[in-house]
Amino acid sequence: MTSSGAPKMAESGEEVDVLVQRVVKDITNAFKRNPNIDEIGLIPCPEARYNRSPIVLVENKLGVESWCVKFLLPYVHNKLLLYRQRKHWLEREALVDITCTLLLLNPDFTTAWNVRKELLQCGVLNPEKDLYLGKLALTKFPKSPETWIHRRWVLQQILRQCSALGRSRKQQGEAGQGDAERSQQLSDHLARTLHQEMKVCSDAACRYPSNYNAWSHRIWVLQHMAKGNVKVFHDELSSMRLWVSMHVSDHSGFHYRQFLLKELITELSQAPASTTISTSSPQHRPSNNPHHQGHLQANGEMSGAEGVCEEERQPGFTVVLQLFHDEMELCTDLIQSFPGHETLWCHRRHVFYLWHHWRREHQHHHCTSNGGTESVNLNSTDPGLAKASERGCEGRGDSVNGQLHATDAMEVDAVSLPDPRDTKRLKRGILSPCPPALPSEHSFVSGVLDSCNSPEQRRFARAYKKWLDTVIGQQP
Amino acid sequence: RVSGTQVKDVVIKPDAPSSLLLDKHADYIAAYGSKKDDYEYTLSEYLRMSGIYWGLTVMDLMGQLPRMNRQEITDFIKACQHECGGISASIGHDPHLLYTLSAVQILCLYDSVSVIDVDKVVEYVKGLQQEDGSFAGDKWGEIDTRFSFCAVATLALLGKMDTINVDKAVEFVLSCMNFDGGFGCRPGSESHAGQIYCCTGFLSLTGQLHQVNADLLGWWLCERQLPSGGLNGRPEKLPDVCYSWWVLASLKIIGRIHWIDKAKLSSFILACQDEETGGFADRPGDMVDPFHTLFGVAGLSLLGDEQIKPVNPVLCMPEDVLQRIGLQPDLLT
Ligand SMILES: [Zn+2]
Repeated sequence: MTSSGAPKMAESGEEVDVLVQRVVKDITNAFKRNPNIDEIGLIPCPEARYNRSPIVLVENKLGVESWCVKFLLPYVHNKLLLYRQRKHWLEREALVDITCTLLLLNPDFTTAWNVRKELLQCGVLNPEKDLYLGKLALTKFPKSPETWIHRRWVLQQILRQCSALGRSRKQQGEAGQGDAERSQQLSDHLARTLHQEMKVCSDAACRYPSNYNAWSHRIWVLQHMAKGNVKVFHDELSSMRLWVSMHVSDHSGFHYRQFLLKELITELSQAPASTTISTSSPQHRPSNNPHHQGHLQANGEMSGAEGVCEEERQPGFTVVLQLFHDEMELCTDLIQSFPGHETLWCHRRHVFYLWHHWRREHQHHHCTSNGGTESVNLNSTDPGLAKASERGCEGRGDSVNGQLHATDAMEVDAVSLPDPRDTKRLKRGILSPCPPALPSEHSFVSGVLDSCNSPEQRRFARAYKKWLDTVIGQQP
Repeated sequence: RVSGTQVKDVVIKPDAPSSLLLDKHADYIAAYGSKKDDYEYTLSEYLRMSGIYWGLTVMDLMGQLPRMNRQEITDFIKACQHECGGISASIGHDPHLLYTLSAVQILCLYDSVSVIDVDKVVEYVKGLQQEDGSFAGDKWGEIDTRFSFCAVATLALLGKMDTINVDKAVEFVLSCMNFDGGFGCRPGSESHAGQIYCCTGFLSLTGQLHQVNADLLGWWLCERQLPSGGLNGRPEKLPDVCYSWWVLASLKIIGRIHWIDKAKLSSFILACQDEETGGFADRPGDMVDPFHTLFGVAGLSLLGDEQIKPVNPVLCMPEDVLQRIGLQPDLLT
């Protein structure tokens, strides 16, 4: 890169002006030359090197030499503010370039994002371009609240555009070949956008631990772009399993899992009764949640619970039991493998709480739901079931409450559950998920206290026991 | 597998400050605003109005408000009010609820809300309420329980709470309550000490604190205290002076402040002072800033330090200022 030969000491106002204008142009040109830039950063460099631009492009990484930032930032900052006060006119293209430079250096400058929102509204910018700028800013500032806020606004624009397109087609009343194709394109586009958002969130979550803004954004995206889409929620739960196992201190990551679990359980518990299922295709069982009637699905398929046996009266229930079983098992495994992590004990509280409440709400379905399923045990209060957990810190527990035969029979990779085959086997009574119960939780705690010397682990175990006694135990 | 088995906490060195250096802090804040050409100052201009609120409030709590330039500040605020009634962080920036609240708080310290068009502020706040009761932060529509707090705090200070739909606003905030008794930024979001402060403060100002499960929330808040005495904002995060304030103030609001070890927290906060420059940092040994300086001093006030004026836990303003305007937010006992 050679375009701006930076003066060694850019001190006078005029020199700074020239320098900065060149640097802004260099940044714009870098994006033109390489549209695949995927990361930005600051290159520590106290002094300018003669005849060399401070903008460095190495493969897909865009770097700014640190010496120039103290000139660059105040310049673009003031330029934009003068424009905002109508004291200085800027062409649209200049506005695009200046806000880009400004936001890559200071992404919490709310007003600069607002200027881009206006440019987007009048069609100078397209939504994808702004999602891209935000993504780059997040590589250097993964928490930046204003960047996440702007993303949600842009996504809402995309959703609005799509639903307007969908509506106008419906009004025209043409259901021809081209129409179906357009509809498919729209749905593909939304699915791609959703996928890309998940990726942006993951990257930001890896760059900064317990990144509240990244994870609450991810929740927002699912709530707005995949509401009621059981398949998307299942896929997220599966793909998060490895991630949380590698980030056992990340409370936000675990909270996201709790959110997924809760949403899935709610969806699955309101599954339609058998009569409606048997008349519709089991592979594409529509959700009867009124929230997403007519709602644009990023993924047209609503098939998360596919393979659930048609004659089962509450097909979602066995899947729910399996989900609870798997989650508690994962939690036990992680607590035993990584002693002393508060996050894991918090997760246990949350999952147990969810289970406790779900069971109380759905207990009356018990008799009908396990007609053919011998060992679905909603009230596994038999203390004899709680054995495996007593191993405490040592080794990896195979099961939460000791029904080892059930786990052995699983034969499948737990990562990809719930698998339709499991549910079928479940139906035949081959496999039985063992949800948690108070006695088994108490013996899990005793197991940890008996065998683990880590003071933190013991402290968290005792706090969990106290929580079980007071919060769960005192509920009617 | 990545694992961090070490406890996430700090160790307070034996030579860390253990007494309150009030004069140093006053000098630090008084000098802060004079470095206006500073690069850092440019970088933080997007939140200038809140920055001024932090600085002035901590000066007032230390009895040093007269050292600040009242005329300059009220002129500045006047210049930041927009046609729509909202107030921006600085001149040329866009209006936002966050800075509207900060501006109103500053003007209450100076007993001069009349320098701005109060009716227009009220209209602005009212216009940001959504159908579900929530509040957008500005005209672009971002929703957050923080903005619910900003809205009711602004209106409470102006004595205009009745202009919004309070029942709906309460309904929305309660929909953000979690199983652990805490609150997040939106329904389904993780509990976070900063959001909990906003939501308990909101429920105090709207007279709805009975809706909080005080024992359960108090439990979660107390679990934020680490062996160093400092408080974190979420599990497995480092202790921080600002989170210490948010947790402590929330505990005070729900009447459970005696559940934590006050002496230990006090020594953690004192250790975050910089003996040379004045001011407080987030943790011992880090760089100081006005934000942590306010929350350090305010925290010590809530803990009962008598060298500092009593602070109100809901609005983070001196109690005497609130008495003057006749505002007494509810606290649980
Ligand atoms: Zn802090």
